[in-house]
Amino acid sequence: MKDDLNIVGKRVVRSDSLAKVTGEARYTADLTFPGMLVAKVLRSPYPHAKIVGIDVSKALKVPGVKAAISGFDSYGVKWGVFRYTQDHAMLHTDKVRYIGEDVAAVAAVDEETAMEALARIKVDYEPLPAVYDPMESMKDGAPQIHDQYKNNINIHIHIDVGEVDRVMEKAYLVREDTFKAAGEAYAMMEPYAVVACFKSGYLDLYMPNAGPHVRAKALSNMLRLPLNRVRIRHINSGGAFGGRSEVAPGDLVASLLTMKSGKPVKLVLSREENATSSRQVHDMIATVKTGMKKDGTILAKDFRVIYDGGAYSSTGPIATSIPFYVYEECYRFPNVRYNGYRVFTNKGIRGMYGCHGRAFLAGNEAQMDMMAKELGLDPVDVRLKNGLKPGEMTATRSKITSCGLKETIVTASEKTNFRKRWAKPSRLKGVGMGCVAIMCGFPMGFRSGSSCYVKINDDGQVTLVTGLVDNGQGNESMVVQVASEVLGVPMRDINLVNADTEVTNLDPGAYSQAAAFVGANAVRVACEDARGKIVAIAAEKLKVKVKDIGLKDGAAYSLKNPDKKMPISWVVREAFFRGEPITGTGSFFPNIDFEREWVTRPWGQMAGTFSFGTSVAEVNIDGETGKIAMPRFTSAHDCGRAINPMAVEGQMEGSIQQAGVAAITEGNLWDKGYLLNPNLLEYKVPLACDMPDMDTIIVSSRDPAGPFGAKEGGLTVRMNAYSAVACAVANATGELFSELPLTPDRVMKMLERKKGVK
Amino acid sequence: MKTMKVSFNVNSEDVTLDVRPYETLLETLRERLFLTGAKEACGLGACGACTVIVNGIPLRSCLVLTPEVEGATIMTVEGLREDGNLHPLQETFMEKGAVQCGFCTSGMIMTAKALLDRNKRPTKKEIVTTISSNVCRCTGYKKIVEAVEEAAKRMA
Repeated sequence: MKDDLNIVGKRVVRSDSLAKVTGEARYTADLTFPGMLVAKVLRSPYPHAKIVGIDVSKALKVPGVKAAISGFDSYGVKWGVFRYTQDHAMLHTDKVRYIGEDVAAVAAVDEETAMEALARIKVDYEPLPAVYDPMESMKDGAPQIHDQYKNNINIHIHIDVGEVDRVMEKAYLVREDTFKAAGEAYAMMEPYAVVACFKSGYLDLYMPNAGPHVRAKALSNMLRLPLNRVRIRHINSGGAFGGRSEVAPGDLVASLLTMKSGKPVKLVLSREENATSSRQVHDMIATVKTGMKKDGTILAKDFRVIYDGGAYSSTGPIATSIPFYVYEECYRFPNVRYNGYRVFTNKGIRGMYGCHGRAFLAGNEAQMDMMAKELGLDPVDVRLKNGLKPGEMTATRSKITSCGLKETIVTASEKTNFRKRWAKPSRLKGVGMGCVAIMCGFPMGFRSGSSCYVKINDDGQVTLVTGLVDNGQGNESMVVQVASEVLGVPMRDINLVNADTEVTNLDPGAYSQAAAFVGANAVRVACEDARGKIVAIAAEKLKVKVKDIGLKDGAAYSLKNPDKKMPISWVVREAFFRGEPITGTGSFFPNIDFEREWVTRPWGQMAGTFSFGTSVAEVNIDGETGKIAMPRFTSAHDCGRAINPMAVEGQMEGSIQQAGVAAITEGNLWDKGYLLNPNLLEYKVPLACDMPDMDTIIVSSRDPAGPFGAKEGGLTVRMNAYSAVACAVANATGELFSELPLTPDRVMKMLERKKGVK
Repeated sequence: MKTMKVSFNVNSEDVTLDVRPYETLLETLRERLFLTGAKEACGLGACGACTVIVNGIPLRSCLVLTPEVEGATIMTVEGLREDGNLHPLQETFMEKGAVQCGFCTSGMIMTAKALLDRNKRPTKKEIVTTISSNVCRCTGYKKIVEAVEEAAKRMA
């Protein structure tokens, strides 16, 4: 691999940022079409109720109302990622299962009319007993939320490697703790919105989404339309963070309304609806039992994790597995058992927040530190000892290729003087370290790979066509940068057509952390294909050997005699004369074991590669109030190679906010089925004044299969920042946390426990 | 429906509109004037994504009723360019990587502009305090603070 790169690895201005700083970037709610109607949704006031009847006839009589629908206007096709999880019709005729669930909807000429019409829809409910706590929900006799899932257990993931019980008995030190965490709100700045236009039998849709192809497939099933009749179009996305990976009830609602009215329909959720009725994050209870040797070697792990799954399956088995995998991809577990239960409750629909699982991950890491302390060991050494190395296999048989875990641990600890400070914490001050690994992609069948087309236009400019999606993290700019490197054409001369199901080929989307490793790789391959054709003609015209041709600044030139050159546009015109326009196709399919199945065969290669990272949090606790201050936060992330280091840093800094600071501030609060903090006044997204000084360190391991050595760019921090905080609080207080977020009242309880006060 | 006639100046252009009495400035800007740079992210003044500058003061346009701005001079993110040139804040937000999903960007830039208009050399702490009125979910704010510091330098 050549290292004299022109543009990859540079801190470039993102290609999408001009439109965003001028206000010209269009998001779904900004769209208007002639004759467009406004949609509003009637939502369930009950956590669990039988639907006796829905009458929309009076709504239809309100002047200006063009359509009114309920589940009785739908086909009742149930969505689920897997055949065995298809349980979510999104508009129901039998019962509602959470407060805020979509029941009926109207489309009208304006918002006032739509609101008035909503008030005239009559729904007869028969309230049913409801259950809100997964532990209660699993008990015999609890209200049954879906008929087909006994004890409301949606998914049980059972993984058993080695001889956990026998080895645990022989371990020098064994510890078992239980950790809880509230689900966070995604709180993406853009509330969910969808615009749907049905015309001449084709349904065009705009919505923030993490994967247009998956979305189109789901809607074609639910609407009984051929796949080519459902076209998801490109639109800017105001953040996703895992919350926009699946088809949304609003997609079905807007589609039915436009199909019924024949007019474009816009549905924009309020902030509160976005919280109650788009997706939420799983609350979680994780019991972690660890057996360790005297030298700190982890001999066995035994996990039991309960996920509050809300009312429907969502990504069921994936969500129930991923927290375990990002941990087993980081450390060596010769004997490990994982029992993950995703349990239904009468609460909103759920998704993964990044790779989710803060109770599990922070619990493991904080417990490891307590055990290290008991054994008189340094937590840095314990992590280095148990951390996976290049070439090793994970417990469930994924091979680790490039791996900079050790470098991230060493750099982060040296930068923070960690060992010394951890060993002798000053009063109520602490440091803590968290490590994790992230799979770059995971099995998604034929959607695990990506394909790209590229054409070189007659002015020498380039058009890329890829299914890749940008939810704000910079994926679009990333592939433009990669294409610029391969083709020697400046970024400003590269046009991108992406995330449109009509014109682009399959791509995993901004899902499963695959965009850099898979999506950008396909772009690289397609551009290399086109490059070969450019170089062949240029070599012929310049009378230079093919291997001596370079491409830079829109020109082909002789590497030996750079004055000998011609613009790429001339090459393209020559190609047109020859009837062979310069185009390229490319695809990338990661090395994944497709026999792997989340429930029935949880072993085999999970992903083409893995990223690694270590975070260190520094905390000061106010002994009077229990308030945690976080003066400094350091994260080191192995992203293979940073295509745009500025973008990678941005991902890391955002993650420190979303996971690190969030570990002390964020959590959804519930009173039975009511979400108590659905808006941004009551739900505390960290502000600029809440942020620590941040030090982000990019570690390069140059992945052999990644595009220019790249892997995903920053998610490890999202998954280890809360561990670092939990560990730092343990270091400061000498106590393990029992529940996240670490609000002042919980910290006070930890301090009292330490003092022996009840 | 009863409407009210309201006149104001937005981005150096005088406009007179018939609006509903309870219409917010954000609705008027977005739906009548197609100035969609200001975003609705919370609808209750918590996030600042809808910030525009009214008579020199950054306001959350979701909390302002349009009839209140009679005679006012309003600037939105669309009015920031001068003679086609980007405002220094627009340049530095791009150059420092302060933009990710972009949904908070307009409001963040307008809040920062109002700060730099009233305080040519703000300290880092003043910048942090000021932009703490706006929520960004993506960036962790570090690059936003850097962008405002750099813009202040360029404007000095």
